Parts: sequence; C-alpha cells; structure tokens
Amino acid sequence: MKLIKAIVRPNMVDNIKEALGKLNIAGMTVTEVRGHGRQKGHTAVYRGREYEVSLLPKMEIEVVVPDNSVDEAIKAIIGAARTGEIGDGRVFVMPVEQGYNIRTGEKDVV
Amino acid sequence: MGPIKGRVEGRDIDQPALRARLGATLETARQELIASTERGEGGREALARYSDAVDEAVRDLVDAARTHTSTPIAVCALGGYGRRALSLHSDIDLLLLFGAPIGRPEERFVKALLHPLWDLRFTVGHHVRELADFDRLETDNPEFLLALTDLRPLAGDRELAGRFDAVLQGSSRQWHPQILEALVVLTDDRHSQFHDTLYQLEPDVKEGPGALRDIWATRTILKLGGDRRRAPRNEPADRLSDAEEFLMRIRSGLHLDMGRNLNVLSYELQEKAAERLHYADPDARRRAEALMTDYFKHARSVTRALGRVRRAALPPTPTPIRLIGENLMWVVEGITFANAAKAAASPASWIALFDAAVSRNVPAADDALALIEREQETHHYRPDAFHPTNDHRQRIVQFLRPRPGLSARLSEMRDCGLLGAIFLEFNEISCKVTRDFYHKYSVDEHTLLTVRNVERLMNHPRFGPVLRELRRPEVLVLTLLYHDVGKAREGNHSEVGAEMAAVMMDRLGLDNEDRQMVDFLIRNHLKMSRIAFRRDTEEPEVVKQFASLLNTEEHLKMLFLLTLADVGAVSAETLTPWKEELLWRLYVDAYNQMTLGYGDEIIDRKEALVAALQASRPDDISESEMATFLEGLPRRYLILFTPDAIYRHVRLSRNISPNEAHFFLEKKADAWELTVVSLDKPFLFSNICGVLSYFGMDILRGHALTSLSGLVLDVFQFSDREKFFERNSQAREQFDKRLTDVMSGKNDVTALLTGKEQSVLFRRGPARRAPVIYFDDEHSRRYTILELVAEDAPGLLHRISRVISEHGIDVDLVLISTEGQKAIDVFHITRGGAKLSEDAKAALKADLERMLKESA
Repeated sequence: MKLIKAIVRPNMVDNIKEALGKLNIAGMTVTEVRGHGRQKGHTAVYRGREYEVSLLPKMEIEVVVPDNSVDEAIKAIIGAARTGEIGDGRVFVMPVEQGYNIRTGEKDVV
Repeated sequence: MGPIKGRVEGRDIDQPALRARLGATLETARQELIASTERGEGGREALARYSDAVDEAVRDLVDAARTHTSTPIAVCALGGYGRRALSLHSDIDLLLLFGAPIGRPEERFVKALLHPLWDLRFTVGHHVRELADFDRLETDNPEFLLALTDLRPLAGDRELAGRFDAVLQGSSRQWHPQILEALVVLTDDRHSQFHDTLYQLEPDVKEGPGALRDIWATRTILKLGGDRRRAPRNEPADRLSDAEEFLMRIRSGLHLDMGRNLNVLSYELQEKAAERLHYADPDARRRAEALMTDYFKHARSVTRALGRVRRAALPPTPTPIRLIGENLMWVVEGITFANAAKAAASPASWIALFDAAVSRNVPAADDALALIEREQETHHYRPDAFHPTNDHRQRIVQFLRPRPGLSARLSEMRDCGLLGAIFLEFNEISCKVTRDFYHKYSVDEHTLLTVRNVERLMNHPRFGPVLRELRRPEVLVLTLLYHDVGKAREGNHSEVGAEMAAVMMDRLGLDNEDRQMVDFLIRNHLKMSRIAFRRDTEEPEVVKQFASLLNTEEHLKMLFLLTLADVGAVSAETLTPWKEELLWRLYVDAYNQMTLGYGDEIIDRKEALVAALQASRPDDISESEMATFLEGLPRRYLILFTPDAIYRHVRLSRNISPNEAHFFLEKKADAWELTVVSLDKPFLFSNICGVLSYFGMDILRGHALTSLSGLVLDVFQFSDREKFFERNSQAREQFDKRLTDVMSGKNDVTALLTGKEQSVLFRRGPARRAPVIYFDDEHSRRYTILELVAEDAPGLLHRISRVISEHGIDVDLVLISTEGQKAIDVFHITRGGAKLSEDAKAALKADLERMLKESA
C-alpha cells in the first residue's frame, strides 16, 4: 500500500476526484492548506498598497492505494490537475505499513 | 402529599410467581406503549400509563420486601419517574426513605426491592436515606436536591411520608434558593455541551437546549417561586405542553428504534420519526424537513420561556428608570414602553423601541416583547400598519444599518413576531429546515447569523474598511434578510428570492438604485463563492468574467461582504482563513480589473449591447451617429449608463466646438449629477472640477471617458455642501454661466479658486494618514494608471488633475470615488500617446506629493 499525497490548485479537486473514481479509487481525504513551492507567492496591490501573498491557498489530497495502482493513480492525478503553469502543485508517494477499518476493526488487505 | 396505596403486610410472598406476574404485567404495559408510539401517540398520556404500570410493580415489590424490616419505610419516585414521564428505556429513580437508623434488616429490604427490579430489566437510580439525614441539606449534591422537586410518594408508610413532606416544606425557604442556583448552573453546563445553540442538526430531544429538560427546568423555576417580580405574562402554559408532547412522542420513537435510552434524533431517524408522526408530504426528505421545522419552533419557544423565567427569577436590582424618547423607557431589562396602552394602539411606533435598543446596545425588555407579540397575534397587523408613511418606511430601512447588537434585536423582533409581520416573506422561512450536509441552522437563524457576521466584519482589519465604505450599508442587511427567502418556495431560490424581495421593495418604496442592487445581490449571491472556491482565479479570464457581472465597485463590495457573511453563517467552521483568503484575492483582482484594467476593453460595434442600443434607438439618432459616438469608449460605459442616458449623451455631443461644453445638471436622490460633453483639450477635467469646488460642491464620485473621436464625457455626482442651489434662486443660471465661461477660456478657474483655497473655511487640519500615490503599468496595455488615495479635501480633485495636466499628461479615463473621508481617484494617463517613463512618473509623483503636503 502507498499513500499518495497531492498538493493541487483548489479548483482541481473535482477533476481529480472524477479521475480517481474512474480507477475505482473511492476514498480520499481533502484538506485546505496554504503554502508555496517554486511559485513563492506574489505581491498584490489594493488601492495602491502592496500586500504580500506569500502562502497560496491549495488543497491537499490524500489517497491510499494498492501498490499495483500507484502509477495509474499518479497519472490520473497529474492529468487532472495540470494546467502547465507554475503553481500546478506536487505529488508525493509514501509507503503505508498497515491500515485498519475502525468500524469493523478489520485489517486492510491490499 | 398524595395518598400512598396500602398493601397487606407480613404475608409470605412467592417470589418467582410474583416476578413472573410482574414481568407479564410490565410486558403488557410495554407493548401498549410501543403500540402507542408506533401510532405516533407516545406522548404524555402514554408515558403516564406506562409509569402507572411501573408504579404497580414497585408497590408489589415493596410489599413483598416489607417482610425484612419493621422500620417505617417510604418509597418515592424522583425525577422523570416522579413526573410520570417514563419512556420505554428510561431509568427509574427511587428514594428509599427509612424512619429510623439503617441496619442489616433495612439493607435486606433494599436488596429485596432492587434485585427484582433489575431482573425486570430496569436501570434503577436509587437513593437510600434516613429521615434524619434531611436535618442537614446535601448542598454538595445539587442533582439530588433537584430530583426532590419532582418527588412523588409511591409506597410505604403514609405517616413517614407525611413527616418527610413536612420536613421538606419546612426547610423550603432554605433549600429552594439553593436549588434555583444549582439549576441555573446545571442548565448552563448542559447547554455548553451543545455549544449553547438549539440549532443542532441531530438534536438531543432530552438534554439539548430547548428540549425536554429545559421544559422541566422552566417548570421547576416557576414552582420554586422564581417568579419574584412577575410571572412571564405571555408564555401560555400550552406552548410548553405542546412542545413537551411533541418531544415526548419523538423520544418514545427513539427509544423504540434504538432499543436503548438514547435520545439523539439522528439524521437517519428523522425520516422515520416524521413518518410516525404522520407528516404527509410524499417525499421523505421533505417530511423530515417539516418535522425538523416543527422541532425548532418548539425548541425556540421552550428556550424563550426558560430565558424569561430565568430572568424573572433573578433578584430585582434597583435601577433608575429613564425616559429616552416618545413613550420609551430604559429600565434594567432594557428598553420598554412607558405607556403600554398607548404602545398597543400604535404598531408603527414599535420599530422605534428596537432602534433605541440597538443605539444603546441593550435588549428590548420582556414586557415590551410580550406586548408586541400579544398585540400582533390579536390584530394580525399587515405590513402597512408598521410603515403608514414614507417617513416610517425610510426609518425601517435606516434601522437596518449595521451596528453592534442589530442581529440580537432582529432576533427579538423575529421571536415576538414583528420581523415576520413587517417583512412578510421572511416569515415563510421561520424555522425552515433544508436538509443538506453543510447548513447547520434553520434558514431564518442562518439569515440572522449573516447579520451578526456583518456586525463582526465592522472591526475586521481587512474587511472592516470595505464595509465602512459602503454608501448604503443598510441595503446590504436588507438583502441579507431576503437572500434565502426563496428557499420557502419551489424553484431556484436565488431567482424566487429576488421576486419575493421585489414585492417587499414595492411596499417599502425603495428607489431604483436600491432595488437594482438588492435584486442583483439576491440573484447572484452564490456566484462569488462558487468562482472563488471552484474556479482558477489565477486565470485572468476568470476574474474578467466575474468583474463583468458587476456594474460598479459598489456592487463588488456588496457582493463580497454578503458572501463573507453568508458563508460564515453556514456553520461555525465553514468560513476558514483559507476561504477568506480566496475570497479576498478574488475581490482584489476584480476590483483592480474594474478600476485599472477596464481601459483596454473597448466597445465592439458588433457586440450585443450595442446591437440592443441600435435596435431601440430613438428616431432622432442615426445608426452612424450612435456608432461614431461609441467608438473608442471603454465597454464599461455600456454597463455604467442606461440606454436613455446614452441617447442623451449622443444628443449632447452634437455640433460641439472646441471651446464649448454641452452639459446638463440634475438632482438625483441624495446628490446632484453634472454631465458634461466636450472636445478633449488640456486642463479640461481640472477646470470642471475647479468650477464645482468654486461653488463649494463635494465631488462624491464620477467618471471621465474619452472616445476615439476626441469626445470627452465627464459625469460627476456631488453634494451641495453649502446649499448653494437650495438657497439661491439664481443658482442654476450662475452655475451654468460660470462653467460656460471657464470652458470657453473667459475665466481662469485657478485664479477664482486662489482666494477660496487660502480661506480658513477651506483649511483642514494636517492629514491623519499619508496619501498613497501608486503607478501601475501592468493592468493596462495602453495606459499608465495612477491611483491616488488621500484624505478628501475641498478642491482636491481640481488640484490633482491640474498637476497632472501641468506635466503635459493626457487624462483619458478617470474614476472618482470618495469613501468617508478618503478620496480614491484612478487616472488612466498617457504622454505623447504612450505610457509614462520612469522619470516622468517620478517627477509627477514628487509634484503631487508636494501639492498634497502644501494644501494640507
């Protein structure tokens, strides 16, 4: 099992959800986050006064997938989240040792 | 003290046979209660019948256990059992009272009573005491003291029960105040577990605010003599009884469905409860919504009743009574009527009470609210009764300007029925529930929370200034009151709500500008959040499309604030700093697009708005005349002005010569408007501003627009600060002549103004905030944009534009606005047909700064 963590533009979440749905990857956790990568924010001006927009609003999506689905899940996320512009986001993949269903207590077998 | 049924004592009891008999009897009673519950009739009567059956069982068991001791014994029911309100899986609370010290025989009695009860599947809360224990009060056990208030003798010795009653009555002066105090603390603690709101998506029908325990607390306070000053006048006992019956029926269903003593009306069980209580709508979701609407209505009337008896139970505080206006007094509870009969006869005066309360940020007093509620229920006044004259109508709208305490007073108005009587359409959403996964409150509560959020925005470091800049903030609150009324009816609630608001605006006689604003905001109240949260707002086209929805910056500000207030009222957690940031960024980008970026968007003669203008063109304007006039004007022109105004501008532009100005002046609602058409030349804008300043006019807002053919259209809205037009019969002629002379070069407006500018009347103190002068070369391909924010002062715009012209700079577009004491002017400028060089900008900035410093 792998945990895929994607930091994406806020408006791309529905696309990603749909793309992962097509792969039968149903569960996901979505969190409002703020941060910056290479985009490093920018300066906005309101009424002649500058204000720094250093941390940009992004969405963090977490999905846990079986090892053999990792590649197509990553492809689906990138395909759905990409505009080609700076600020499209990042995808990280991490190993998951175990997973349990709290209601049933069952161990995930994937 | 009620009678205790006697029983034959000392008889040998066949325990297994007794238990079997009691088991069968109780099972019959349970089945009866279940049948009643299934029929939707598991209310007070059904619970009392079941409690009576349990009484019988307890009495039989007490009789059987009496063989163990000869000590006098009284067994009493406490709490809910004492009230004969046992539900299917309720605990039974018992007091086992002995008339002498407790020894082994008495312990055997206790076991002989409790064990069979446990075997009969009861959860028993038992308190074992000697009568002597009550010589001293258990002040550290408030729950027990409270349970005693519902004590009901069940079995045992009459004489002991009588003595116990005498002890309780005799010491009541001592322990009643303590119980009252404990009850208030326990109630507050309990409410805090529910975040102090009755608006729970999945309410606890026993413990939640406005639920059963609050009904019992209300009655207990009244019983304990909490009505020291007066009993709540307008709280018919039926309302509490109705609420209790409704809640008991739901609770019985919950016990039946869950098979346990669980009282949470969960999402899933709401549909079942609605069906059981015979809600008729064929759609299950709507049935559940109707059930929850009724739930909130009952919970709200319980909360109000409890609040009133609690306040009445407080020790009276001596307070000076002040008369604060016509028939209004300020007393300790808040604002009330000095003469109730006079107030009752004059519904149009009621709003003044709430206005006085908001002004002082104190509540409306209970007796005033009760009077209004009673009178409204008796007479069913129509809205006209509250605003018979135009003056009254304006006062109602004015009342809605955001101030601390406004939402609390609106809540009081809602609760006493006044808000729904004035704003009939609001009444339709009273306690209205929409079942979705994000709205936490009923529609009317959500609506009033949006008003509370506006109050909070006033002090927000980033959003407060936007709110304070609004020209008609009361229109924002009026819109908020109506933004969701459409949810009461079928169809798209934004569209339906706008239609409902139109009826209200007819009644209140709102002017066109306000009507158009309210209509726009209600129809579009979901747009900004959808774009901010679901679209890529870093994409300039998205921002452009959003900005194109909005006629003016005022529309943007209103929609922005409405969105913040609306999203923040969905639930406490909905408006995160993350969402605030997204909304703020869209606001700033749209604001910049509207004020800085509009110059590049030139009218296309093929676009729909032009086609519409051509199609409805009056006979005296030819197609080519119309097309020539529009050529090169920014698209925004078509949005800013009505077709009639545009046709008027076309006529003004005819036969114009270089030293001429064609203009007209008209009085608008709260200001004057001057429209000038002329051919472009240096100092043109500055001269017009100068003439306005010469006559003491304060320029509030305006536009200057230049077409490709060199026609310049200037529109100024200004206030007549010195009442020049009002006080002088020849004022219009004088103004026209002066403007004509200045435009033709006969008069030098700078010379005319010199004396004025040096007058002490013109002088203002040093500026409190340094001016901001900012050049933007990003937002427009064609122009350098100069944005200047400074403290407003007479003649300021004239001086600024004069400095710009002195630098040989052409002013093509100007956007003028004043917000309180702040002037915000945006100039789209070029020199020699190009953007300004860095040197030119630096020189202009230095001169502007010098001018602003010198004229401060």
